[in-house]
Amino acid sequence: MEERWILFKVFRYNPKVDKFPHWDGFKVKVDRGTTVLDALLRIKEEDPTLAVRYSCRQSICGSCGMMINGKPRLACYTRVLSLGTDMVEVAPLKNFRIIKDLVVDFSDFFKKERSIYPFIIRSDAEEMMNPTGAYKQTEEELLKYLEFADCIECGCCYAACPTTATDPLYLGPQALNKAYRFIMDNRDEGAKLRLSVVDSDHGCWRCHFAASCSNVCPKGVDPAKAIQFLKGVIMREKTVGFKKEGTTLVSYPQLKPVGFQRSE
Amino acid sequence: MRESSLMMLHYAAAVVLLVTGSIHLMKNNIPGMEIHGPLYLVNMLIFVSALMYHAMNGVRVILIELMPKRSRAISYIILVLGIIIYLYIANLVIALVR
Repeated sequence: MEERWILFKVFRYNPKVDKFPHWDGFKVKVDRGTTVLDALLRIKEEDPTLAVRYSCRQSICGSCGMMINGKPRLACYTRVLSLGTDMVEVAPLKNFRIIKDLVVDFSDFFKKERSIYPFIIRSDAEEMMNPTGAYKQTEEELLKYLEFADCIECGCCYAACPTTATDPLYLGPQALNKAYRFIMDNRDEGAKLRLSVVDSDHGCWRCHFAASCSNVCPKGVDPAKAIQFLKGVIMREKTVGFKKEGTTLVSYPQLKPVGFQRSE
Repeated sequence: MRESSLMMLHYAAAVVLLVTGSIHLMKNNIPGMEIHGPLYLVNMLIFVSALMYHAMNGVRVILIELMPKRSRAISYIILVLGIIIYLYIANLVIALVR
């Protein structure tokens, strides 16, 4: 198996101690399967003071987002040799406050996400507390939001967004994408509430459709498209009125589970 | 006014600009095309109104991004500035077209 020595230029900064950030260089032997996260963990064995955030190592948790060769990527999903360079530059995600080295503060990011009510809102509180059935959703209804539902909240889109770079109050591609995902869900009844949040000075109208967010998303979600659709939903709401098909409740005895027969 | 209303007007102003601007260009560049009197004056006043709104709202959007915490103050300053400039230009248009 081909093995190569690659130079890693790693961003180092501890705001509590350092006046200015600096770069450290490390040589790491990598092979075809070595990811940037593997390399960073090898570096961490050498220098335990290096701060890196990671968890699942299989691009599901979204913890290891960082700037790799100037582009926001997941370290666990980026193979070193696929970058095609002898030197790999690793830095923390842009548009976030740095906690230490490659670890950034996601509090603003999650605060903005919470502001758009990222959950299904329903008026039938009694049914939610004591469920008697399941809400029906056809394949067509699912497809209206499915492509926007794969977000793992890694922050790569947020780091790539030029509007977020200039306007820190801008909701950002992740929150706006999530707002659209829930608005289009036929089980949800909170569209008006969410539209009042995204239709603001720092909401979806600040998106210039640079589409950098969609370009860097490791899960193939297209937040830029969701934001343009969101603008369309607001326009429809203001002109002809935004209406969507609701869902129907299918009570449990009527449900026919696949693979086994329910015994009464 | 909600941001969507302002942006809807922004897009509508762009369409109006296309129509009234085309009439203005044709009048001045196509030989034999004669549009005179109050009709042309109305066209020019609509053109200037749409142009002013579109331009000032564009400046407002840029400034809000550069100074996000001052968005309300920026909107009011742009509104006042826009009205003053509009009144000046509209007077100029009326004097020139008449």
